[in-house]
Amino acid sequence: MKQNKIKQGVITGLTFGLIFIFLILTGFTQVGSDMIGNLLGNFEKAGAENALPVINLILFTGLIGLLMGLSTSKANLSNTWLASLLNSILAGLIAGLLVGAVILVTGSFHSQGVDFRNYLPKLGSEQMNYLLHYTTPLAAGTTYLITSTVASLIGGAIGKAFRQQSWTAHSMTWTKNTVKNIGKKLKLGQSPQRKIITILGLIVAGGLLYLLPLVWGSYWNYTMGTVAIYILLGIGLNIIVGFSGQLVLGYVAFFATGAYTFALLTAPQPHAILMNVWLAVGISVIVSTLTGLLLGLPILNLRGDYLAIVTLGFGEIVRILIRSDLLTFLTNGPKGVTNVVQPSWLGKVFSDVNYTHFLFLLVLIALFIAKRLKDSRTGRSWIAIREDQTVAQATGINTFKSKLLALALGAALAGLAGALFASRNQFTGPEDFTLMVSVNVLCIVIVGGMGSLPGIVVGAMVLKGLPEILRELDDYRLLVFGALLIAMMIIRPQGLWPAKKVSLELQRKDSLGDNIQEVEP
Amino acid sequence: MINKIKELKITWGSAIRVIVGSVVAVYLIWRVVIITFGSGEFGPDTWVRFLITGLVIGGIYALIAIGYTLVYGILFMINFAHGEVMMLGTFAGYFVLEALSAMPAPGTDANINFLNAQPVLSILLTFLAGAGVSALAGYLLEKIAYRPLRKAPRLIPLISAIGASIFLQNAAQLLFGPQRRQYINPDLLWRGQGWMIPVSGKSVMLTYTGGFSFVLSILLMIGLFILVRKTKLGKSMRAVAENKQAAALMGIDVDSVISKTFIISGILAGSAGVMWGIHNGLFNHYVGFLPGIKAFTAAVMGGIGNIPGAMIGGMLLGLMESLGPALLGLDFQLKDVIAFAILIFVLIIRPSGILGEALTEEKV
Repeated sequence: MKQNKIKQGVITGLTFGLIFIFLILTGFTQVGSDMIGNLLGNFEKAGAENALPVINLILFTGLIGLLMGLSTSKANLSNTWLASLLNSILAGLIAGLLVGAVILVTGSFHSQGVDFRNYLPKLGSEQMNYLLHYTTPLAAGTTYLITSTVASLIGGAIGKAFRQQSWTAHSMTWTKNTVKNIGKKLKLGQSPQRKIITILGLIVAGGLLYLLPLVWGSYWNYTMGTVAIYILLGIGLNIIVGFSGQLVLGYVAFFATGAYTFALLTAPQPHAILMNVWLAVGISVIVSTLTGLLLGLPILNLRGDYLAIVTLGFGEIVRILIRSDLLTFLTNGPKGVTNVVQPSWLGKVFSDVNYTHFLFLLVLIALFIAKRLKDSRTGRSWIAIREDQTVAQATGINTFKSKLLALALGAALAGLAGALFASRNQFTGPEDFTLMVSVNVLCIVIVGGMGSLPGIVVGAMVLKGLPEILRELDDYRLLVFGALLIAMMIIRPQGLWPAKKVSLELQRKDSLGDNIQEVEP
Repeated sequence: MINKIKELKITWGSAIRVIVGSVVAVYLIWRVVIITFGSGEFGPDTWVRFLITGLVIGGIYALIAIGYTLVYGILFMINFAHGEVMMLGTFAGYFVLEALSAMPAPGTDANINFLNAQPVLSILLTFLAGAGVSALAGYLLEKIAYRPLRKAPRLIPLISAIGASIFLQNAAQLLFGPQRRQYINPDLLWRGQGWMIPVSGKSVMLTYTGGFSFVLSILLMIGLFILVRKTKLGKSMRAVAENKQAAALMGIDVDSVISKTFIISGILAGSAGVMWGIHNGLFNHYVGFLPGIKAFTAAVMGGIGNIPGAMIGGMLLGLMESLGPALLGLDFQLKDVIAFAILIFVLIIRPSGILGEALTEEKV
């Protein structure tokens, strides 16, 4: 019993210690400390004095320690005050010892003139001095140890106090009930009232969509344009993956087809066809759709991961072919196509505000169409196929035709998005169409909530918009993105805005943790 | 019964399959005939060289592919981060070699470093480090990113794996920097040196590193085969792959078997990563990405979930990559296109892979 109680503290200490060492090695400690400095407003003065950055660094260490203390107290609710605090101190000591040891070792090497920069670029001479608090390794290591232990103890005490009164739990239930009550009241109101609210909401949303691009400047227009293009892609892939349940990992192929068709038809180089923009958009969509059909005919009988890997291969093939010498005469090879024409209306070229409006309009139309499709007979047959293909077939659905239709529609949307992408950037090159695009779109669909249309909007905002906002953490944003994806899948696998049917499906679990799909043959 | 009815039904897909299949087959046969008896574009020595390249790279692909197949066989998930596990192994091996080359050897004069004084021990240490780090990475990966998702539907762990892949790649870039690095080999295994094999008057070089990688990959595969077929762990792995519930009822600790599977696949991937470094020299944090995808391709081609299938698939993919462009008269920059095209072709003709059993629909 005693051992179990201590175990928690040891494990938390080890975990946090290793995380902190990881943060040191990736240089995040400095970024984090500077952020704290920014918050406290003492950053400006930091240049002259060495003391302020060091204080920030110690504060950052303390923050980590505080979090550690909180998480130790969270783990074991039944502990007494003494045991809980003991755990926190233990965790703090262990983490502090780990970090202190690393600092001590690297610091003593550093003071002997060893330069780590060749192997660990974030441990250059400047950074090492900073990490050593501009003192000796021993003093710095001890500071880390003390800071970590004290902070962890404080964190543990705070955590324990809150748990003791279960204040958070109370507030949680209170909020939940309030929200429920408000919801009930709104629903209790007659349907005309709800209609009015919906209409009002739509008007406000429409007004915002119209007004915001006018106000927020070209940077945001560009970012939101990217988000809109990814929403289009997401809607398309959602038809394939979310509705009909076919895992396609090479969606970028259709995107690339659309972009390149449009670019080659409108750009002066290398073909000088200089076609009308709107006609070119139409042709791009048709070409992408045909690509989807042609790809789908032979492979749609494959299922699950085989389909995924075949489409993944197809996406890579398209990209490599575009880049290759073999097709340079057609696609201009690795250089890409420049001077792609921007759309115009009545002789006036779209400004970026117009363009954003246009993209928003297209997204709304696509959302509307997708919504109607989902509720149609076709949409229901897709969902039937997703749930169980054999049963769907038995009820008289032509599964092959349905799946092909889904793939073609998804490809058409990708083609449209591709044409818009090329025309907005006025450029298209093979490196725009790597596997990561497919992966990103799939992540949008899943993070938003599979099969859910509002989810795609949310997902695209989060996954394409958030990295833009996180630009301050430039080097770290992909790292954070990867970690967030994992955390998201563990905490909220049904997506940010799940579709109702899917969320019901996702809650079905069986006792031993086997896949629910896995039935004995 | 239902499957039989389906097979009888002639769909568009099956018609096209037959047509495409026969067209490609006829073209391939025609190409082989032309090249061998007609143009004489490539002499036999060139073919032998391609063959050697293919086998060496194929051995590495096979090792990584086994990792995919082991995990897929048990959890039915694509371990998208497996290539990154290999990358970590490559880095670990690099650091060990760097350290050993900077270290003076005991008992000899100061001019010889440890690496060249004790080449066998050094290489062994390098592989131990690479395999160890990758095994640890695989273990932690499963524990942190996949285990909480055991009950989730199948797309969820895939996304988590994609997240892990992005995370690991960027972590490596931040930790070790984005520049390309080069493996320091001991003189015994110096790159660009090798045995000369005379082939029809000319000589073809089999590099030491190539021969070493190939032999080692074969040995590791044999070891794995024995492990899976003959040991108790292998037996319980097969049992868990067959049916988790029944295995648990038989007293098998499913969680620990899954952990061990990830450790084994990590060991293989780490060894493959070190081999990659020793054989090719240059690498950076993207090193795992393409081999990872290709190895997965190989695993699917051989029939995913099937260990001999992964070995054969890996070897075949390596051979296709090196022989394919010449065979089809295409540019060498299209070798990836050929690899993927043949994958698609194989799956269209034989949807369950070369050695794959007809998986039940629930498993696919």
